[in-house]
Amino acid sequence: MTEAADRELIADASNPLGLDGIEFIEYSTSKPQALGQVLEMMGFRPIAKHRSREVLLYRQGDMNVVVNAHFAGLPRSARPSEVPVIAAVALRVRDAAAAYRYAIDRGAWAVPTHVEVMELNIPAIHGVGTSRVYFVDRYREFSIYDVDFTLIPTVDPHPPALAGMRWFGIVQYIGNDRMDDWTEFYAELFGFRKLPDTVRHGILPKGHVLQSPCGKFFLQLIEPKPGILDVEPEECLQRVGLGTPDVLKAVAALRERGVGFVESQGVHSDPRGALTQSYLGGVMFELVHDERP
Amino acid sequence: MSTAHINIDDFGMGAVSLAGSLAAKLAVVRDAGFAQIMLSARDVAEHPGGVDAAARAIRGSGLRVTGFEALSDFEGLAGRLHAYKVDVAKAMLEMCAAIGAKVLLVASSTSVHASGDEDAIARDLRKLAMLAVPFGIRIAYEGLSWGRSVRDFAAAWDAVCRADAPNLGIAIDSFHTFAAQAPLDDLEMLSPEGIFVVKLADFMWPEARTDEERISTDRHHRVFPGEGAHSEALADLVTRLDALGYRGDYCFDVYNDDYARMPAATVAERARRSAIWLAEDVLRRSVPLPNQIRLRRTAG
Repeated sequence: MTEAADRELIADASNPLGLDGIEFIEYSTSKPQALGQVLEMMGFRPIAKHRSREVLLYRQGDMNVVVNAHFAGLPRSARPSEVPVIAAVALRVRDAAAAYRYAIDRGAWAVPTHVEVMELNIPAIHGVGTSRVYFVDRYREFSIYDVDFTLIPTVDPHPPALAGMRWFGIVQYIGNDRMDDWTEFYAELFGFRKLPDTVRHGILPKGHVLQSPCGKFFLQLIEPKPGILDVEPEECLQRVGLGTPDVLKAVAALRERGVGFVESQGVHSDPRGALTQSYLGGVMFELVHDERP
Repeated sequence: MSTAHINIDDFGMGAVSLAGSLAAKLAVVRDAGFAQIMLSARDVAEHPGGVDAAARAIRGSGLRVTGFEALSDFEGLAGRLHAYKVDVAKAMLEMCAAIGAKVLLVASSTSVHASGDEDAIARDLRKLAMLAVPFGIRIAYEGLSWGRSVRDFAAAWDAVCRADAPNLGIAIDSFHTFAAQAPLDDLEMLSPEGIFVVKLADFMWPEARTDEERISTDRHHRVFPGEGAHSEALADLVTRLDALGYRGDYCFDVYNDDYARMPAATVAERARRSAIWLAEDVLRRSVPLPNQIRLRRTAG
C-alpha cells in the first residue's frame, strides 16, 4: 500500500501548495464607499460586513473582493489611504497551514495576525511593497466569510458574474532590473512558471507573464519604462485582470453601467482586451479575452 | 599634479576605519571626496537616536551606501540555531532597507555547529536571498579565510552557483584572498555579474598562516591598499577584475587599531590617497566609465 506522504510528494511536484486559484482580492482605502461605487459599477455586489471591523465583502460570480478601511497597525502595513490600493491576495490552497510553512521555510516573511474572538486565523506572508498573501483552504465545503462576516439582509449572496467575468490575474509593477528577482520569488515560494514571451494576453503586451501552478490565473510583472533613471520606482500590485469570453460584450455591458475605457492610439478596447479608466486616483481593471472552460 | 579631477566615485570608504559618531564619519567621508560609504550594523544600531535617526542621517548625507555588513555564521545551521539566525538575518535586512543599502554582506560561517554540507549551505543562502527579494536587497556572500568550509572567493562562488538565485552573488575581499593565498587565476571562472562588491584591504606582513594569525590581522592590522606588503598583488587583483568586466563597487574594509585612535579626517585622507592610486595608476580612470551613467539592462 502506498504511504500518504509518498502519494502527496508524487502528486504535488509541480504545484507544491496545491494552489487552486484566487479566493479574494483585498483593497485598502480610507474611502470604502467610494471604492464600493466603483466596484458596483464593475458588476460587484456588496454581500456581507465583517463582524468587528470596517470591512465589506463584494462578489460577482466566483470573484470576491474585500474592501478594508480598518488599520491594523502591523509592521510593513500601510494606513489606508484615499487612493485605494490592492493590499492582499488570498490564494486557495490545499492546506493553508502547510502552504504557510512551505513558504516560510523558503524565505517568506510571516505576517503576524491579530485575531479577535471567534475570528478565523488566516495565515499570511508579506508580498510586494506593503501587500500580503493569504492562504485559504476553506473554500469548498464552507467559506471563510461564514465565520468572519455577517450577510447583508435581502441581498443575493451569489450574484452572477457580468459577461462571464472571472479572475484572470494581477499586474505587479516592479523596480529596475527586478524581473529575475520577482520571477524567482514566485517560482520558489508558490511554484509559478514564467511563460515564454511569445505567449501574450490582452492588449498590454508589456513585461513578463507568470502562470500559477494550478493554471487558473497569471501574474504580470511590469518594469519601469527604459531610460536613465535615478529614482527607484515604487513596487506594488497595480491592478487586477478580469477574464471574459467576449471582451467587447463585456465592455458594452460595463459602459452601460457607467464604466469608462481608455481609448487612445496605444491602448484601446479590442477583442483581445480593454482597460478601464483610472478611478479614485489609481483603481483600474483590465479585461482580457479568456476562453478557458 | 592636482588630484581634484580624479574620479573615485566607484570606491566606497569603510566606516569601520573611522573613529567617532556616525554623523562625524559621514561628514568626514564626504569631505574626503568619496561618493559612497560601506556601513556596518554597529554604525546603525549604536546610533543614540536609534535606527530611524541613523537612517535619516545616512540618507541626508548624500552618500550612497556601498553595502551593509555583515551577517555572520548564518548558513549550515539546523533547528533552533537556524531559526535564531533567520531572525538575526531579518533584523539586518530591515536595517539594510531602512538605510537604503542595496547589498547585505554575508560572511561565510565559522561556527563549529554549522554543517559543511554543500546542499545545506546552498539551501540556506537561497532562503536568505528570497528573504531579501521584497526589499530589493542583494546578498553578497564572502569567504572568510578562517571560515569553516568556505574560505575563499572560489568556494563562495561554488556555493552561490549551487544556491542559484538572481539576487545572490559574492563579495571578494582582498585581505582574505591574500591571507588564504587563493590563486588569482581562479578569478577566470567568475562571471562579473555575480560579483556584487569588492572589498580592498592589505596588511603589513607577507603572510598570515594560522587561523589565529588571520583573525588577529583581520581585526586589528589591516591597512589601505598601497600601504601594505601586497600592493603588487592587490593591483593585479583589481586589474584582473577590471579585465574580467567587473564594473561594480570597490570599498575599503580596513579594521586597524591605530586608525581607530587617529583623527577620522586623517584616516579618510589616507583612504583617498589609496583610491587615487587605484583609480589613476592601477585602473587608469581619468574619465568616468560608462557605467557611471546608469543604463538599464534590456529586459529579457
